[in-house]
Amino acid sequence: MAVTRRRFLGLGAGGVAAAAGLTGCGSRSSLGGRDELSMWCWTGSVNDSLIATAEKGIAGTDKKLAMTRIGGDYKTKVLTSLAGKSLVPDIIGINDDVATYFPNADQFHDLRDLGADKVEADYLPWKWKLGITPENKMMAFPMDTGPTALFYRRDVFEKAGVPTEPADVAAAAPDWDSYIQLGKKVKAAVPGSAITDNITSIFSYALAQMPKRYMTAEGQYIGDGDHIRKAWDLAVRVVKEGLSANAQSGSTDANAVVTNGRLVAFIGAVWWAQLGPKNAAPKTKGLWRVTPSPGGPGNRGGSFLGITKYCKDPEAAFAFITWLESAKNQAQSFLDPVLFPSTPASYTDSRLTGPDPFFGGQRIVDVFADSAKKYPGAYFSPYDTIIGTPLSAELVNVEIGSKSSDQAWKDAQRQINRELTRAGAI
Amino acid sequence: MAVSETVRGPAANVSANSPDGPPNRFRQAIPQYAAVSPFFILFAIFGAFPVLFSIWLSFHSWDGIGTMKWVGIEQYSYLLTDPSFWKSITNTLIIWVISTVPMLALALVIANALHNATRFRTFYRIAYFIPNITSVVAVTMVFGSIFSNNFGLLNAFLQSIGLDKIEWLSQPWGIKIAIASIVAWRWTGYNAIIFLAGLQAISSDIYEAARVDGASPRQMFWRITVPLLRPVILFTAVTSTIGGLQIFTESQVLFGSSGAIGGPGDGGLTIVSYLYDSAFGKNQFGYGAAIGWALFILIVLFSVINWRLIGGNDDERLTSRAARRVQRRIAAERAATGKADADAGKEHADAH
Repeated sequence: MAVTRRRFLGLGAGGVAAAAGLTGCGSRSSLGGRDELSMWCWTGSVNDSLIATAEKGIAGTDKKLAMTRIGGDYKTKVLTSLAGKSLVPDIIGINDDVATYFPNADQFHDLRDLGADKVEADYLPWKWKLGITPENKMMAFPMDTGPTALFYRRDVFEKAGVPTEPADVAAAAPDWDSYIQLGKKVKAAVPGSAITDNITSIFSYALAQMPKRYMTAEGQYIGDGDHIRKAWDLAVRVVKEGLSANAQSGSTDANAVVTNGRLVAFIGAVWWAQLGPKNAAPKTKGLWRVTPSPGGPGNRGGSFLGITKYCKDPEAAFAFITWLESAKNQAQSFLDPVLFPSTPASYTDSRLTGPDPFFGGQRIVDVFADSAKKYPGAYFSPYDTIIGTPLSAELVNVEIGSKSSDQAWKDAQRQINRELTRAGAI
Repeated sequence: MAVSETVRGPAANVSANSPDGPPNRFRQAIPQYAAVSPFFILFAIFGAFPVLFSIWLSFHSWDGIGTMKWVGIEQYSYLLTDPSFWKSITNTLIIWVISTVPMLALALVIANALHNATRFRTFYRIAYFIPNITSVVAVTMVFGSIFSNNFGLLNAFLQSIGLDKIEWLSQPWGIKIAIASIVAWRWTGYNAIIFLAGLQAISSDIYEAARVDGASPRQMFWRITVPLLRPVILFTAVTSTIGGLQIFTESQVLFGSSGAIGGPGDGGLTIVSYLYDSAFGKNQFGYGAAIGWALFILIVLFSVINWRLIGGNDDERLTSRAARRVQRRIAAERAATGKADADAGKEHADAH
């Protein structure tokens, strides 16, 4: 009855062989049936009725769309599927960390080979560029964008005796300096007022206005440069002036400061309107306004679509993508789930230009469209996440008072250096 | 039952009695192997293979898609000089101690109360067990609003009795206390039920004898209950250690969406959350695998320490080394005090 050692090892080897067979090395195929194009996206990244149309049949092709909305750790699931080299979806949604896929651009079709140049003129030039690798391969196609602007509570500004109408606020606070002065006036009149939820928001949005970020396109690290330090010092200054609500992102406090009216102004991306006041503080309907942000136009967020090299019919996939991201359909995606178009032609579409009752009937699209068109664009490197994480983490240390600004800056740079050296970036 | 019948069944007897020679024992056992094989096959695919692969992976640099690059022990040497890794170990150990010690003590008290309870026993048992089967995500979200810095229930309470509010979810100690209390909330009832099972296994004769000898309840608790519960305490201590070293969900739910997975100042960065962040946040799968193996070594280490502390002195579990130590002591006593006294000493040692 006893299992001999040799027999046991034999059984074990059989199991490992079975495991290797199951992972399916060699059978490079894409997910879904032969007449289907499979697509993965995260929840809330596409308009449902457009997808429903494509699921009946993609115009100009003999294929139908099979869409899967992935919850939870979307990127992990995509990477797992790509690592398996089998059953990879034909089309995948990619978030604003698109550059982290660049080292593996060989896993995707070059969209220029499929005729992307023909539609380039329809899209915001800086957005178009973000999907192109330093080797000049077009890996990702533009979906929505995240132009930034200044959100503020008109009623609180009125109480504080500062300008209240969007044009006047923009004129009174054209840069961060004057904006901080304005914030101090509001705080003096309405105690407890804050112009940011926490220190990292100021840093991120100041960075989102800059024409360069952490690396140059040539691969040189510039995250210790003056422009980053300027955004850093600005964030520290807002905290020192007492204008931050100290509600760290991800905490329940972050919503609470919107709900209870502490956050009276916020430089945010267009999607914040939904995530912030509309969801967290529906009772403030009609009290908010939007105006061009101090410090200039910026962009934070926005997503892309890529066609994997496992795709069974790249032409059909490309036809679907260009249809889904046409100016007409991007305008529809703005209605639900509030994705801001990357196609300037959408900005005059009547579905976007209607007055928004939440913002007192203001035509908020004009403000964001202006920001999107004037945004200078910046190079995102594959290492931006590695660099950005220690910077934000150390900024939080400054805000909670556990480190001085200079010490935190030094620690962040040391950590970044270690990580970049290991990643082989410097 | 069915399996053993197959062995003793007529077919087996026939082959055993056949004149062709002794039966092939393995061939006889094939049905049994076939019956247990699904577990081993599944284990090989989903258990053993990933484990072996993660060793292989920890000697590589891999971003999840491209080719794996052999880097030797580089991941491990980076690990040893990585301040975040050491911070995650310190954090985990602190959270483990401030959650496990009060938790096990409280569980023992609750188990004792349950053991002596006369009414609604089942109700109490269920009530104490419910936190354990509640979704840890939901529990953490509730605790998140209790400990919330500005508008948390706990701070509202502190302020209502005239104290200053504490920034629970910003300060390193506050974060650890918050996480430890979530852990304790979840596992106290579970451990209490385990203790209760151990208590009910202790014969009431021993207690009656002690009572006849005039032992107080406190003496009975410390001299009878605790020593006899030692194997159960060892079990809960070891499982709590393994669980405590793998704390992850709590800090992930409290801080996961904010980018920095450990929360402000990395106060809640645990080993597993650092592993998760390295592998799935930064896509450094080789490094994640190395952290996983470091965690494995730590768990083995702490389980051994637990075993030594709680289980190692038990007479029935004397290791050979401890047995030799006793023998040496007896020999020494015998040499020192002469034969007559030594016999008494031997009896003394036996009685221990």
